[in-house]
Amino acid sequence: MQNNRKPKVLIVDDEKALRAGTKRLLASEGYEVDTAENGAEGIKLGTSCDYDIALIDLKMPDIDGIQVLQKIIKAFPNTVCIIATGYASYETAIEAAKIGAFSYIPKPFSPEEIFQKLKEAFYKRQILLEAEKLKKERGERLLEVAFEKTRLNTIINSITDGLLVVNKEGQAVLYNPSALKYLQLDNIKIEEYILDKLHPEITGLINKILSTQKFEHKSYSTQIDLNREHQIFVEATSSPVPLPNGSLAGVVVVIKDITGLKKLEILKSQFVSMVSHELKAPIAAVYGYLKLFSDESIVITKEQEKNYILRSQGRLDSLLKMVNDLLDISRMEMKKVNREIKALKILPIINSVIELFQNELKGKEIFLKLNSSENIPFIYADNDEITRVITNLISNAIKYNRPGGTININLDSTASYLSIEITDTGIGMKQQEKEKLFQEFFRAKNEMTRDINGTGLGLSIVKRIIDFYAGKIEVESEFGKGTSFKINLPLRSGMFKTEKEGQIVLNEI
Amino acid sequence: MQSDETKKILLVDDDVDLLEQNKILIESKGYKVITAENSKEALELFKTQKPDAAVIDLIMEEHDSGFILCYKIKKDERGKNIPVFILTSATYVTGFKFDASTEEEKEWIKCDGMLNKPVVIDDLVQRLESYFKLEESKA
Repeated sequence: MQNNRKPKVLIVDDEKALRAGTKRLLASEGYEVDTAENGAEGIKLGTSCDYDIALIDLKMPDIDGIQVLQKIIKAFPNTVCIIATGYASYETAIEAAKIGAFSYIPKPFSPEEIFQKLKEAFYKRQILLEAEKLKKERGERLLEVAFEKTRLNTIINSITDGLLVVNKEGQAVLYNPSALKYLQLDNIKIEEYILDKLHPEITGLINKILSTQKFEHKSYSTQIDLNREHQIFVEATSSPVPLPNGSLAGVVVVIKDITGLKKLEILKSQFVSMVSHELKAPIAAVYGYLKLFSDESIVITKEQEKNYILRSQGRLDSLLKMVNDLLDISRMEMKKVNREIKALKILPIINSVIELFQNELKGKEIFLKLNSSENIPFIYADNDEITRVITNLISNAIKYNRPGGTININLDSTASYLSIEITDTGIGMKQQEKEKLFQEFFRAKNEMTRDINGTGLGLSIVKRIIDFYAGKIEVESEFGKGTSFKINLPLRSGMFKTEKEGQIVLNEI
Repeated sequence: MQSDETKKILLVDDDVDLLEQNKILIESKGYKVITAENSKEALELFKTQKPDAAVIDLIMEEHDSGFILCYKIKKDERGKNIPVFILTSATYVTGFKFDASTEEEKEWIKCDGMLNKPVVIDDLVQRLESYFKLEESKA
């Protein structure tokens, strides 16, 4: 504990010769010494600096040594004080010890005496400092532990997953509010036996670990339908908690809400079953014809045979289209569409699509009219996708039109968006058909749509494309009179960076 | 089988190809077949053509069109005496097997039998035959 540091000493004495002599003596040994010539100055120095040792004269004219000592100790409890007195007696020693002096020294003192006293005092001082340091460290550590514990609790209580810890006896040790929710309990008492209050499947998970009575790195999981009525699905996982010596302390159960995932799973399987059904119909039809051909007991004419082959081809064509559309939808869902976003002029796109349908228009004697206001601005989009939207809508307007009907295409723009309206004079839709229009595989079924081919995916794809560009598609329809689709496309979507040499870069998808 | 005894079957399916194929297959077993592509057409044919039996696809305009059409036929004075069979692929879609083999099921579904698609014509014909034979023995 002794180190090479020399003590810093304050001498408070009204005797000038003694003050100076002692200072010189101590300084010669390398001590750092301050002196005060009266009580007042002693207090001033002693309370402004943490001296290692204060050597205080008991009798001074202004303030006596005992008061000086009290003031110094109050300011710096670790300053070790020695009382110097010319009237050394047993009583003086007692008195000095009572008020907190470490020791006393009778005056006059020899160099040996004073050095001995100072050595003892300095030793005491160093013990005091060490003790204080330890105390402070311990205090800080305790504070840290307390803080850690609160912080951990706050974190555990903030987790949305439910957390429950039980000990080997099946008593609750720790839980968070989310656990109460998923366990459907109003409260849990710490140290109460809890296994009989939990969902049987969760109790089962805990028992799987408790029954082994030893610690193994092994977790158990199960999915539980908590509430059929409100459709809450959770996944509970139990894991063993080890003691520091590696034996089993208890079990921690984490309960996670997987309702969203489950619903998605259900939607997915519904979609898969719907797709399978749609794919099965054309396969069954073609298969049926092939069976007719191969059945020797069935007599069919050459003309019938030719007709059936044509029909089979038609079914396979639509099957192929459907599979392609499905692949497109899947790509859109997975956001794997390679888009080349460019400034596009919409009018040439519409004209090229109309050109593509010339035969159909002539065949059905449909009159198509295109009205466009002047100076239609550019839109920023992928050419193929916009072409697809226009193609699907014009194709529908022809397919569901009556022979000799008309199609009106109106193109207009405001400062913020472009609008395309495609109106036909076709068979129109009933309200309930309109509502399902954008659903996959929905097709209006009635005597008028019987001979119209389609995959039931076209409008679903149109909607997905329009949605990507943050646009809007609206339908107005009157059964038997016609249908009108109106698309609004933002001229500059927030998704895109500014134009750079006619081409812009996708900011984010 | 003499022509006046040839039974007339009403076949209803919204898939024109399956309709055509099953028509040919059932005709090859010695029946006369009239076809309709939807419930409305089917009801008109039922009234004007007076078929001896009906074979109806379950899912047409709606998911239960076949049941509704069956109900309408069975409500009719003449219709309640003819066998009605419903074709379904619902087993594949729902995993739930429909049947109408017990009296209770017949009472509930109100049809005389459910047949899985694709239809095995021999099964269908066998069920029609046994129904007709039973009627004959009653008469």
